[in-house]
Amino acid sequence: MGWLKTGSPKPSAGLKGVLREVLSYKSAVAGIVILLFLIGLSVYTVVTIPLPEAIQAWRSSEAWSRNPRNAQPEWIELFYGRKLPRTITVSLGEKASEVLREDGTLSVSWVIHFNYEYDDFPSEIIVFFNSSFVEKPVVDIYWIRPDGDEILLKKHTLRRPDDRLYLSNDLGLELRLERLFESKIGKKPNFTVTVEKGLFSEYSQDPRVLKGLYGMRFETALNKSDVLNAEVVIYGTVHGLAGTDHLRRPLIIGLLWGTPIAMSFGLTTALLTTALGLIIGTISGWYGGKIDTIIQRIVEINAVLPFLPILILLTTFYRIDLFVILLSVVVLSIFSLGIKGTRILVMQIKSYPYIEAAQAYGASNMRLILFYVIPKIMPPVVPGMISSVPGFVFLEAGLSYLGLGDPFLPTWGKIISDAQTNGAFYKGMYYWVLEPAFMLILTAIAFALIGMALERIVNPKLKEL
Amino acid sequence: MNSEGRLLELEDLRKWFEIRRGFLSSKVSYVKAVDGVTFTLDEGMAVSLVGESGSGKTTLGKTIIRLYEPNGGRIIFQDRDVTHLKANDLKWYRRMTGLVQQDPFGAFASHFTIFRSLEEPLLIHNTVKSKEERAEKVFKALEEVRLTPVEDFAYKYPHMLSGGQLQRVAIARAIILEPRLLVADEPVSMLDASVRIEILTLLRRLQERLRLGVIYITHDLATTRFFSEWALIMYAGHVMEKAFTQEILRNPLHPYTRALLTATPEPNPENRNRFKQVPPGEPPALIDPPKSCRFSPRCPRAFDKCFKEEPPEFEAASGHWVKCWLYERSEGK
Repeated sequence: MGWLKTGSPKPSAGLKGVLREVLSYKSAVAGIVILLFLIGLSVYTVVTIPLPEAIQAWRSSEAWSRNPRNAQPEWIELFYGRKLPRTITVSLGEKASEVLREDGTLSVSWVIHFNYEYDDFPSEIIVFFNSSFVEKPVVDIYWIRPDGDEILLKKHTLRRPDDRLYLSNDLGLELRLERLFESKIGKKPNFTVTVEKGLFSEYSQDPRVLKGLYGMRFETALNKSDVLNAEVVIYGTVHGLAGTDHLRRPLIIGLLWGTPIAMSFGLTTALLTTALGLIIGTISGWYGGKIDTIIQRIVEINAVLPFLPILILLTTFYRIDLFVILLSVVVLSIFSLGIKGTRILVMQIKSYPYIEAAQAYGASNMRLILFYVIPKIMPPVVPGMISSVPGFVFLEAGLSYLGLGDPFLPTWGKIISDAQTNGAFYKGMYYWVLEPAFMLILTAIAFALIGMALERIVNPKLKEL
Repeated sequence: MNSEGRLLELEDLRKWFEIRRGFLSSKVSYVKAVDGVTFTLDEGMAVSLVGESGSGKTTLGKTIIRLYEPNGGRIIFQDRDVTHLKANDLKWYRRMTGLVQQDPFGAFASHFTIFRSLEEPLLIHNTVKSKEERAEKVFKALEEVRLTPVEDFAYKYPHMLSGGQLQRVAIARAIILEPRLLVADEPVSMLDASVRIEILTLLRRLQERLRLGVIYITHDLATTRFFSEWALIMYAGHVMEKAFTQEILRNPLHPYTRALLTATPEPNPENRNRFKQVPPGEPPALIDPPKSCRFSPRCPRAFDKCFKEEPPEFEAASGHWVKCWLYERSEGK
């Protein structure tokens, strides 16, 4: 422990020197770059997506109705080498024709078009109506394929002004499409004709996407005061940077918000437990006697208490938000075994002549502890603190994974937990687990790299390793 | 201040260290490191505490400046009883006393510059309010110990200085609060022989100029002659002999003092083949010291009484006190 010897040359004086030395380690630079990236990401997240908004959006299923369910991230294409369908949204817009009939109603029609150039079938088709009416109108919807065929999708009676038509669930349509395929190719096709495949596939034995300009025609009879609008959403299989989960939520929000939560939780807990442990350890070592005995016995008792079960117990009994978890973790970690190390260092430093000299010129205990002892034990404490951050980040994720985390906040652990309960791996949705795991590992690596470099600086013996 | 110019009086001063025996046992015994020291020091005088390792001389020094709380007896400093001072009064006493330690390399916090180390006592006692005045004081103290140019030394860290330089800084720190009493605990024993005399000269000069009372703790009788007016010979927590330094060196009375003097090497070619007669054995354990004279087991001139009873201090000659039964008869005269 070279740094403890009072007469030993200091490797570098001041913060600047330490910083310069840290930067001489490539690993530390990498760690700092990652850390800066994570901090930037946190700041960006907090500024662009305010927390209440994020929480509300995360918890509502309505906000994401236009997103595909369980969609992979867009960059997954790089691995497939095919163009995967994005979500296409088309509104009815201008009426194509409007004819006044004898009974005073209007016969109205709309035609919409969209291009479909992807290599895979969409995941779902939903028509969102937005209308106002006196009598429930019947809407005839036709499908116009690029090859000119026209298929009646449905004669749909609007039940509510904001009715939705889930075409993918329409078994009748599915049956009609299957018959259509049979008649076109002369035998049963080799695949199950789902609505999406029936609408988007060529008439062939195997499903093949028919690319080109698709159209839809809406026909209905309306009263004069009636208004009808609709939005056709053809859901893709990929979405955004991070994909979506089973509730159509974009994972990117959870991943983004997970960053400041994980960072602040990890850093705060590490800082608090280290600082409090340092103070208690110093008091224990400095004053000795009864105080020391009491503190040491508490530490020993605390050491055999099972940390996780107690935490689980607490989170079962009390309303659990992030703050309560943080507090419980800090309280349970204050009397950690690290105190013994601090205490020994303090006892060692206490016996140095310079302490006695300071006592001889009248330094108070407070002054001795603050200015003479603590600066001496800081060198091993700071890297220890930084290295302890990933542990706390993992702890929070672990608790979230066990369903014991904050129920409102979107966190990495929660995403993994969701993935687990929805069988992400079983269904092949690796991105769902790997993305938050990647973020967790990134955070851990950043702090580990910096912590290791600092440790090597304050303890030069490690340089040889 | 006392009209007689008396700085420090010790009356039967005792420092016993408590030790617990056994794991849960409440039975305590004591290490009697300093056991009944009586002594008076006048303003501007220096006294040497001489003794071998474990004789209690360092403990006595530290007890005098109240780094240890005495278990018995009294310390009177400038007519004020400082034996059990607390808090603010103790702080005053800290200002009035200074300490120079044996190990100059360990005497400074390695994270403080020399300037900061010297500034600390001023900050603690708040005697000088403004920053500029503090800096002036620090520089003056450095000049006092001849570390010039002061700017070259003030902003260095302790590890950049040599042992001799550090010991000068330690002296500067000890006198920066303008104390009246200085305890120098073997201030040169860890230094190179070449710088010892410089440091001692410096201390002596400062002592004379500032009229400091100095307690010079040493195991080296040779330097006492040079340094102090008075000398106390300590053995196993007792003062065996006290007198003017010259008197002790010229006319040692106690068998232990004689043995010490015999052991001092003299640069005389005739000594090369002479075997010096030194008392055999070791100093007694201080946990349960003999109730008799503590030197009796090793004393070449011990007789019956020495093994039975502890001798009081006899004034063998004017101002020459000896704790030895051999000089009992002189009492009667």
